[in-house]
Amino acid sequence: MKKLLSLILALVMVVSLAACTVAPADEGTKPAETEAEGEKEAEPAAEGEEEPAATGELMTIEIYDAAANFHGVQSGWFAKVIKDRFNLELNIIAPQVAGDAIYQTRTAEGALGDIVILDKGDFLDCLENGLIKDISDKLPECENIMKFKVQIDNYNQNLGKGEGVYYGIPAQMTDTSPTTLSSENVYSSIWLRWDQYKAIGMPDIADLDGLLDVLAKIHEEFPTNDAGDPAYPFTLWPDWDGGDNMIGIANIVQLTTWYGDKIKESAILKPDNTFTKIYDRTAGYYKIAKFLNDAYQRGLVDPDSGTQDWNTVMNKISNGQVNFLWYSWQQGFWNSMDRKEDGTAFAVIPVEDMLYYADADNYYGSTRVWGIGSQVEGEKYDRIMEFLDWYASPEGLSFEHNGIEGFTYVVNEDGTRTQINSNALMDNLEVPAEYGGGGYNDGSNQINQWLCEAICMNPETGEPYSVSEWKSYKEANMTEMKREWQEKYGAEDPVDWMEKNGKLLASPNVQVPLDTYSSELSVIRNNVNTQLCDYSWKLIFAADDDAFEALWDEMTEMLNGYDYEQLYEFDCANYQKEVDAKEAAKAAAE
Amino acid sequence: MLKNKKKARAYKEFLLVLPFILLVAIFSYYPLYGWIYAFFDYKPPKPLSQSAFVGFKWFTNIVSNKIKTQEILRVLKNTFAMSGLSLLFSWFPMMFAVFLNEIKCVPFKKFVQTVTTLPNFISWVLVYSIAYSIFSSTGAVNSVLQSMGLADKPIMFLQSSEHIWFKMWLWLTWKNAGWAAIMYLAAISGIDEQLTEAARVDGASRWQVIWHITVPSLLPTYFVLLMISLANFLSNGMEQYYVFSNSFNKSSIEVLDLYVYNMAIGAGGYSISTAVSMLKSVVSVILLFTTNTISKAVRGEGFI
Repeated sequence: MKKLLSLILALVMVVSLAACTVAPADEGTKPAETEAEGEKEAEPAAEGEEEPAATGELMTIEIYDAAANFHGVQSGWFAKVIKDRFNLELNIIAPQVAGDAIYQTRTAEGALGDIVILDKGDFLDCLENGLIKDISDKLPECENIMKFKVQIDNYNQNLGKGEGVYYGIPAQMTDTSPTTLSSENVYSSIWLRWDQYKAIGMPDIADLDGLLDVLAKIHEEFPTNDAGDPAYPFTLWPDWDGGDNMIGIANIVQLTTWYGDKIKESAILKPDNTFTKIYDRTAGYYKIAKFLNDAYQRGLVDPDSGTQDWNTVMNKISNGQVNFLWYSWQQGFWNSMDRKEDGTAFAVIPVEDMLYYADADNYYGSTRVWGIGSQVEGEKYDRIMEFLDWYASPEGLSFEHNGIEGFTYVVNEDGTRTQINSNALMDNLEVPAEYGGGGYNDGSNQINQWLCEAICMNPETGEPYSVSEWKSYKEANMTEMKREWQEKYGAEDPVDWMEKNGKLLASPNVQVPLDTYSSELSVIRNNVNTQLCDYSWKLIFAADDDAFEALWDEMTEMLNGYDYEQLYEFDCANYQKEVDAKEAAKAAAE
Repeated sequence: MLKNKKKARAYKEFLLVLPFILLVAIFSYYPLYGWIYAFFDYKPPKPLSQSAFVGFKWFTNIVSNKIKTQEILRVLKNTFAMSGLSLLFSWFPMMFAVFLNEIKCVPFKKFVQTVTTLPNFISWVLVYSIAYSIFSSTGAVNSVLQSMGLADKPIMFLQSSEHIWFKMWLWLTWKNAGWAAIMYLAAISGIDEQLTEAARVDGASRWQVIWHITVPSLLPTYFVLLMISLANFLSNGMEQYYVFSNSFNKSSIEVLDLYVYNMAIGAGGYSISTAVSMLKSVVSVILLFTTNTISKAVRGEGFI
């Protein structure tokens, strides 16, 4: 009897097991998709309940945003701007904050977001798998966006879905030209505090060693900020590593542009338009890694560098604890009008042997694309398109690039604008209640991505949106400091200096469809990137030159072990298309 | 009649067991279905049904060259080392309980017990934030050292990989020892008072009472707990190592579970990390049979 009982039990167990394992397989071997379908069905129903016929009821739009540094619902003054006009609430999903896993789980669920802002490669993957909505019916009606028809057509035709079929809108397009370089600064160069540079006698800087000498002197003279907190020339942060289609740590890859190198995923594009491997000892990644290590060996690197995030660094810059910047936009966290007037602002200091790589205006858009999630239907779709068109309108762009009229700028008699409260962002000034209250920085546009770049012309003022291009701004910025700078370097601005001295390597903007990684290559890419980043941090913090070289050898071996070669070949072939297009664009412009 | 009665009873008893069979089936066997991902070329936006079947590609990929094999061995080494350390010191909570029991001042005893138990209820993220505020470059320790002139620049405790296994064990013990001691305290209260009293009457010192009565009475409990921790040898959790890991110490802190997590969630390699986690099951089964054989040889009986 006992035997029989145990037999029955065993049998039941086997049957129940089989039922559990087989059943889902019969339903289609993909729980992910069945779930997603369930959600899709559920969504319009829920919408129907929440959104009766009456238009204009409060609606929450989910924005999957590869550019955002903020995760959650937009608040503050910009939230009020959107709510007053569209009665929309923006729920921002930021993979940079929440981790890339959120991309994988949401795509597996079949709904990434109502609005999606993705890197071009991911956008293609999502499009192929039906996550992106065909917006051909509504997009041509969007007057403001369609001012960029050339660029949008160009991008969508490359998708190969047919004439007049629209899926994506490139981000940050400009209305200039693919070869124009509008900015007066390149993306990455040497920014030092003018007063500190003066205090050490303004020595000319010949090369990276010279730069280190200067930084060491500055560190010696100014080891703390005015409040007595420790200050360092180098404050690094690891949370941007491996992004923007470049493997390796962000603080190295951007700096390689000082010597004309540009990193394309796993390959380094050299000034002569040939590719080399990331671990090539004669190329930029090694040069900059060694430079940062030398800086560390001389005690110039903030010890928190390997473990802090960008937001901490941002606070340190605003707090005067960072004496050296290398992104042109970083100055915005320190350079107020007052500081420019009293000469304590950051300015570009040229280095003799550098050859600055600069991307021309994003005529065809940046590396990211805007799209609409395929699950969006009905009223929500209408309202999103209405919102997007506004986002590219003069009013929308004014809010995005200039802030609040009457708070961060005023309109002059001739229609042009003048900036006021220039420290609103860095000091997080309190916004008056009528504009929504709260801190200005806290309430600023957390989407952190535009359809149109600030350099675009504002038809209402006859000047670009970019504050630094305003006549009023230029007049106000003719400070003592600026005059001293112009006198010393004999040029209008840094880009002018670079052009005059043949130190500028401008790369035209092109629109080339690139292949995306297969699953195998993406595993290789991510493994190689993880290893490179981990080793890079150890390299920067290497105790001496011998340790540095030993680590570099170890890293090379490790990368090759993770099939770096395979990745490199793919990347070279892929980006060769871009190089060819750039050559053609250059030739056409000449 | 009798047979029918027995049958009815068998059904009744089976119904009593049924919920547990279901639980095991749902939570232990159903997830095994996910192993299917290891045999496909899966990359998230594309559903599994449209992914290519690749057979054992990812399994061979794990050991396809020297470096990759070394990486797996490195991760296994970390796992074994840190689990091994906890195993080696698994007597610590027991001795802690024994000594705690010897404290005669009740309020102090209660105080110590509460203070040591509390960390168990703190999440690892908070433990790390405590570690950060104490050991970071601007943390308490560095501030004291620098103000006393013992260090001219901050010491990077959290970035160093020196003695990291031992440090991890210290954090684990700080968090768990008090909680683990509870079991032993309960066991101690179950020891027959007469034994201790008789020993005292016979003139046994405190040490002798501990050594000859308390500890031997606790050993059965100790062995049961030891078996449980042996079963979890490979699953030493990833939270602790996840929060403490950074680029500088990762090579010595990455345990198998964390490696799988980093491969899948961090790097998007779901297929390959499923393959690695299947490897974990294989190693676990080997461990189980080994310990069972040893147990049979030493104690004369196994547990399966």
